Amino acid sequence: MSVEVEWRDYDVVVVGSGGAGSIAARAAAEDGASVLVVSKDPIACSDTKISEGIATVRESGSGDDSEETLSENLRIAGGDLPAQEVTDAFASDSKTAYDTVRQYGLRPEIDADRQGPQSLPLPLGGHTRRRSVGHINSGIAFGHANWQAVVGEARIDYLEDAWFLDLAETNGVVSGGLIYDAARGVLVAVRAPSVVIAAGGLSTLFFPKTDTMRGNTGDSYAIAARAGADLVDMEQIQFLPFCLASPPSYEGLLCGEPVMASFLGVLRDNNGKVILDGVYLRTRAECSSAIMRAVEDGRGSPNGGAFLDMTANKTPPKSGPYFMKFVETVLPSAFRNARQALGKEAATCEIPWEVRPAAHYHMGGIRTDEHCASIGGNDGATMEGVTGLFAAGQAMGGVFGANRLGSTSLTEGAVFGIRSGQAAARHARSKSVADDEVLNGLIERTQARFGQKGDRSATQIKMELQKACWDLIGPVRTAERLDEIDSKLDGWAEELDRVVIPTYGTWNQAFLEYEELRNMLDTARAVAAAARERDGSLGGHVRLDKSEISAFSWPYSTMVRRGDNGQMTARRIERPRTPLRQLISYKLKEAWRKAQVKMLHLMPAEMQDRKLEARYKAIMGAGDKAPEVYPGSPDAAIADGKQA
Amino acid sequence: MKVEIVLTRDGDQQVVSYDYQRREPKERPMVLDVLLQAQATTIPDLAFRYGCRARNCGVCTIDINGKPRIACRARAREGDRLEPVSTLPVLGDLVVRRDGVARQLRGRLPVAAQGNDLNVEAPQAYHELTACIECYACLTGCPMHARNGENADPGAGYEFGNPFSLLKLQRARLDPLGSSQSREQALKSAVELGLSSCVDCPGCKCGVGIDLKNLVVSELLTAAGDRLPEPSDLSEETA
Ligand SMILES: Cc1cc2nc3c(=O)[nH]c(=O)nc-3n(C[C@H](O)[C@H](O)[C@H](O)COP(=O)(O)OP(=O)(O)OC[C@H]3O[C@@H](n4cnc5c(N)ncnc54)[C@H](O)[C@@H]3O)c2cc1C
Ligand code: SF4
Ligand code: SF4
Ligand code: FES
Repeated sequence: MSVEVEWRDYDVVVVGSGGAGSIAARAAAEDGASVLVVSKDPIACSDTKISEGIATVRESGSGDDSEETLSENLRIAGGDLPAQEVTDAFASDSKTAYDTVRQYGLRPEIDADRQGPQSLPLPLGGHTRRRSVGHINSGIAFGHANWQAVVGEARIDYLEDAWFLDLAETNGVVSGGLIYDAARGVLVAVRAPSVVIAAGGLSTLFFPKTDTMRGNTGDSYAIAARAGADLVDMEQIQFLPFCLASPPSYEGLLCGEPVMASFLGVLRDNNGKVILDGVYLRTRAECSSAIMRAVEDGRGSPNGGAFLDMTANKTPPKSGPYFMKFVETVLPSAFRNARQALGKEAATCEIPWEVRPAAHYHMGGIRTDEHCASIGGNDGATMEGVTGLFAAGQAMGGVFGANRLGSTSLTEGAVFGIRSGQAAARHARSKSVADDEVLNGLIERTQARFGQKGDRSATQIKMELQKACWDLIGPVRTAERLDEIDSKLDGWAEELDRVVIPTYGTWNQAFLEYEELRNMLDTARAVAAAARERDGSLGGHVRLDKSEISAFSWPYSTMVRRGDNGQMTARRIERPRTPLRQLISYKLKEAWRKAQVKMLHLMPAEMQDRKLEARYKAIMGAGDKAPEVYPGSPDAAIADGKQA
Repeated sequence: MKVEIVLTRDGDQQVVSYDYQRREPKERPMVLDVLLQAQATTIPDLAFRYGCRARNCGVCTIDINGKPRIACRARAREGDRLEPVSTLPVLGDLVVRRDGVARQLRGRLPVAAQGNDLNVEAPQAYHELTACIECYACLTGCPMHARNGENADPGAGYEFGNPFSLLKLQRARLDPLGSSQSREQALKSAVELGLSSCVDCPGCKCGVGIDLKNLVVSELLTAAGDRLPEPSDLSEETA
């Protein structure tokens, strides 16, 4: 007997219940649309919930902040890849969208003078203004608000433990989609003119070398690509350099940021040789690539990373104690991970820490306009993409380009959640859904998978794939490796038909794994295609076989589209460049900061100690506590714009 | 290290033994590591929930030797018995159906008044309750939740409450942006969900250490006062 099918009709289907999905659903419902939320994790359980909970709120920390400044900060950090309409939308809505989340119960501390949410004491790296707001209980506070947005609104229907499998699409128009409701063991076929994809990122391609939720299997991108949508900047994956490599239970979790290495911290290879100094001034990408280059060269640490050596900070009699306070307080949750995982000697910085990069966030994603609608087309000639398809949150590409600034992602979820929900509701009002033919085809193919016989397990292929993704499309890449991943992906794609799947409907784990594997394969293919097209290092994309792409060259984004044969083809579209004057001033500041470090190293020990003591005092103020830094952004690298 | 895992497939139960291979000589694995390794080797379609591996997402709760534990932060020991939590219906292996809990709050959650000044500090207790990761460990041993019986339909939302639901309602009562109406509605919901069960109950236990007894239950009981049904009404209701 085949798995049963239930038919439903809605105006808007929202895939995902993280920050972007929950807020999108609520916005669509408030615009009068009938809404179904589909979430494979329990409602609101997502990266948003497990995040550090720091959000960008324009003007929260300084009176001279403006939409222009915020929008420009995003574009410069992103290597000029983001489209200005999109960064402008982010900048214009960041305050109101944050207030919307507050209506669902997010309660920040209040800055009495400014009559608004209290922002962190320093601007996060790359932000030229203080505007990042932290929250008690971190991301969990956002989790409660998102939960309230969905569960507390009777007009929203929701299904949790339900996997959205594919869009129903004909001639570039969406007419709904197919869902596997694992809790009830049925397929749900939904007719809907608008579908919002807010199903998160792809970091699970690199599991266990990631700090994100298990569900980031690239579903957003694969589902959109299979319906013919353009994906943008797919090579741009953000890897955090300092994550744990052992013990196994802690693998991938964050233990530090460049800033934590402080003035004298260095990275060493397995032989104790310094592979990077001035770590605190480096970007994440610089640290990650130094570590991975040592590993490539056979000088990596036992678990395939390097050693972050902060011992020199600790020994000087005057500044040493300040350093210890700094390291304990600057990134409290990361430090807690390090202490639990590496033990007491490491926590007192008497021994170096073994660190290894881990996947954190995907800057690329579904290509959309500033109202989150899928778009296509080439240079200067944007066209409508897949009609009825919208994207928000990590699923949406093009907001951050080559690099995401700290605290911007939670805001991105709210801003584009609202915009996508409203646009989807608007679109639904004008459209009715065509026939059920496409859905029937999807149902038939899906039902046939239950009871599939074979000799492979999707879980095991997933693990082989994860290992290969790390080696071949991870923090460092080469043309050869891209070829190798492609041929491996071809092989696994053929094996999909040999995966064993039992017949029963309720919580069929083998079927779930199969579906996620299918998404991971398509997503990995898109990353590889974009990584080949971008033939130089930029932001989150490091090519060992090519040189750095200069900030002064003409910027372009990569676009990937899936062909009927399942292969991905990539192309470029040009982006406008930030005026040279601004770029040059930015580069000069960076060079000056690096020169200062060199001077520090040349000083006699005693003088150095006194100098450092003064600087720690300046950073930590009277409170003897370092200003907390958002762990999960380029922020912490002082080179990205923070003075210390 | 050998553990026992209780599997349920398509309704049939089976206990299997799994021998964990330490990856480092002195490794002290978490229970989640054991499950991941079992899935990676001999039981590829082993069903269990996890997300963050860091005690934040709240989905990995299972019963370890009969007690609810957060698997990603519980050390595994020789001979452990791993099974789904006993308080919710099993969907497959260690996965239980959770949605009946949240669904019982549909239509019962008060809405914060719109358009009033958002810039008000919430009290400390509001934040203490916001620490809840929705792990449902607190359902174990809760007599109110037990009143739902084994055959209740989660899809409709459970009739009787539990510590989590009370926490959500009390949190709404503490919200400075709430109105007297919304507070009243939250209290009424708590009474309807069976708050009277708490009167003679020794109290609930939270998986992440929130003081449910003082911050939630006592507060609600005090506020409800004589609005709770008499114990005699109660016995009729359950009968
Ligand atoms: C440890 C950590 C700390 C972070 N800290 C910060 C921070 O302080 N500030 C900041 O701005 N950003 C931070 N980030 C990044 C930020 O949390 C995420 O980028 C953001 O929350 C993504 O939101 P989202 O709504 O797009 O996706 P998510 O919140 O990940 O939600 C995705 C949703 O989609 C569902 N889903 C996925 N696939 C399917 C499918 N096929 N069918 C149905 N449902 C599906 C999932 O169940 C989930 O509900 C952090 C990230 C991590 C991992
Ligand atoms: S005090 Fe109330 S909520 Fe807590 S366990 Fe007892 S009956 Fe359940
Ligand atoms: S109250 Fe505690 S035990 Fe209950 S769901 Fe919340 S965190 Fe878990
Ligand atoms: S996996 Fe998230 S709490 Fe255990």
